[in-house]
Amino acid sequence: MNPLERYSRQMRFYGIGETGQKKLLASRVALCGCGALGTVLANVLVRAGVGFVRVIDRDFVETSNLQRQVLFDENDVIESLPKSEAATKKLRAINSAVTIEPVVTDIDRTNIENLCRDVDLILDGTDNFEVRYLINDVSVKLGKPWVYGGCIGSHGQVLPIIPGKTPCLRCVFEAAPAPGETGTCETAGVLGPIVNIVASLQATEAMKILTGNLEQMNPELTYLDIWENVHKRIKVAPLLGKVDCPCCQRRRFEWLDGEHGSQTTSLCGRNAVQVSHRVPGKLNFEEMARHLSMMGKVTFNKFLLKFNVDDYEFTVFPDGRAIIKGTDDEDKARTLYAKYVGH
Amino acid sequence: MTIYLDNAATSFPKPESVYRAMDAFARSSLGNPGRSGHQMAQASEAALNDCRHRLNILLGGLEVDRWAFTLNCTDALNMAIKGTLRDGDHVITTDLEHNSVSRPLRAMELAGVITLSRVRASRDGSVDPDDVRAAFTPRTRLVTMTHASNVLGTVQPIEILARMTRERDAIFLLDAAQTAGVLPIHAEQMMIDLLAVPGHKSLMGPTGTGALYVGSRAVLRPWREGGTGGDSFSETQPTKYPFFLEGGTPNVIGLVGLAAGIAWVQEQGLERIHHHELGLARRLWEGLDKLDCTVLGHRDTTRRVATVSFTSDRETAPNLGMILDTSFEIAIRPGFHCAPYIHVAQGTRVTSEGAVRVSPGPFNTEADIDALLDALSQVVS
Repeated sequence: MNPLERYSRQMRFYGIGETGQKKLLASRVALCGCGALGTVLANVLVRAGVGFVRVIDRDFVETSNLQRQVLFDENDVIESLPKSEAATKKLRAINSAVTIEPVVTDIDRTNIENLCRDVDLILDGTDNFEVRYLINDVSVKLGKPWVYGGCIGSHGQVLPIIPGKTPCLRCVFEAAPAPGETGTCETAGVLGPIVNIVASLQATEAMKILTGNLEQMNPELTYLDIWENVHKRIKVAPLLGKVDCPCCQRRRFEWLDGEHGSQTTSLCGRNAVQVSHRVPGKLNFEEMARHLSMMGKVTFNKFLLKFNVDDYEFTVFPDGRAIIKGTDDEDKARTLYAKYVGH
Repeated sequence: MTIYLDNAATSFPKPESVYRAMDAFARSSLGNPGRSGHQMAQASEAALNDCRHRLNILLGGLEVDRWAFTLNCTDALNMAIKGTLRDGDHVITTDLEHNSVSRPLRAMELAGVITLSRVRASRDGSVDPDDVRAAFTPRTRLVTMTHASNVLGTVQPIEILARMTRERDAIFLLDAAQTAGVLPIHAEQMMIDLLAVPGHKSLMGPTGTGALYVGSRAVLRPWREGGTGGDSFSETQPTKYPFFLEGGTPNVIGLVGLAAGIAWVQEQGLERIHHHELGLARRLWEGLDKLDCTVLGHRDTTRRVATVSFTSDRETAPNLGMILDTSFEIAIRPGFHCAPYIHVAQGTRVTSEGAVRVSPGPFNTEADIDALLDALSQVVS
């Protein structure tokens, strides 16, 4: 049987054809994060025949993931598999003709270059801005396109980035929102459909880029709120070269160089980790408490804010630092911080 | 500007003369000592000798060459402990020790190399010489303890204990991490066979410096061997001190700073520094009493350094530490201070997640202590 037969419907589409399909099969993608967005991205792109997908995630499958993370099922929770392993198993069953490489790791400035060096495109399936800015730095530094996507509640946004041709993430959002400023999926919740929509838009942009259909690319920031019925196309393309972007104009890779970003320290003998994520100015504890009140009781005064999630006790300080009690695993603490305090 | 009260961890700031000496030396003379006869090599060799000389004078060694430079006090203690002990030896230590002593000993005990007696400290933070006396066995080779607790600041009766050790023909190793540069120490007169000191605390040098004094009764094995700048055809490590313990290029620039630090300490005088720091400690614990904080250890200033640890019923030690840092820019050290046994003994392991340790240095002022007390009054009252 013709190995291209499985892609016949896609090849019949005028924008892809046999040439486009062969390009997809020859292309390599790094998927940073395999949760809500990541599983949809992987599902779509592996079915579409992207030849190599590196699936990077450090988390394990949990029950609360199943509502929206389309590649996982109850067995994965029972076996407590790492997300990248569980996803790889499914993806290989879906399409054995392409290569899937699972990597169980926390993406940080020490490993991201190696994880992205040998691919043609980087996909954002993460839930935090620190990794997004790292991806942006690597993308500009290595000259590789990437597709930003994010969602929370019922809204989300998508922006494809081709270094030198479109504005980069820092041209559009120079700094990450301060911890606690915006909610997270854990505090504000998230609807399954918005995840599928945002990731599908990302996957579409990825297919355009990988097949060389750059003129079809949507160079603007797409914003959607499927509950409030908002669909906006925010013009960002003119920003290229107009803003004094530290990353793509001055080529200063501040996240990759460790000037920004969080730092963790395991606190001796206390089963606790201190996460340092300095923010300019002070955190707004009232705002944070409002976001976090969905999780349970939050107390705060002008010096600290405390709340509990599962068996973890969070103490957050005004400069963005936090002590998370209940784990001495620094990666776990970083994930918990991103999930509940947010960045 | 941060109010720095963590001098028990490392002193800050350093005297101006320390910064200047390091800067000037690094720009003009920073060669590799001994490796060749050129002028910069000689200048570096001379700088090391100057530092050894100052240590020997300040701390009462027998001769200059018995001072081996180390990375820090931990390095010196490891060199002493692992270089001294042999299969079947018995060691006496105390509940007051820092992990730099406790961990190597406990590892050797678990490996079946040594047997270990850990003498308890009283509630007020003192070791009773009678308890040490009772711990000796015919196999006791080493007695090792801290001069002053790094948590409580309490000074131990080391002269009695060192004499007792010598009478029983064992070796006395003193961890002077919290006292060198504050209290008078005379290694020979006090019968200290092995003396470990950090360069970066009260001796006012930079981090990465320390020294081990090896008295004539101590017999060590070197655990780091290598180039010594001379005697190149000797197939094994030269037995001549200090090269016996000093394989590899030393931290010349750091030791230039340490020499300047010691010179500054000598110029100020130990007594004056100690008196100044104790005055601040007294001001602190009087203020802490008013805030209903619990100060650990005794307050007898004749056997104390200025380190003060306390707890509060209102907030855990780590949270207090973070609040002082984030809202007031005051640097103190919360937690367990790498001294687990004393926190268990004091009951602070569980109740308050450790203690808040405040350690004033020579450059702190009464205003610093008042700022700390004012901050605490906003938080705990």
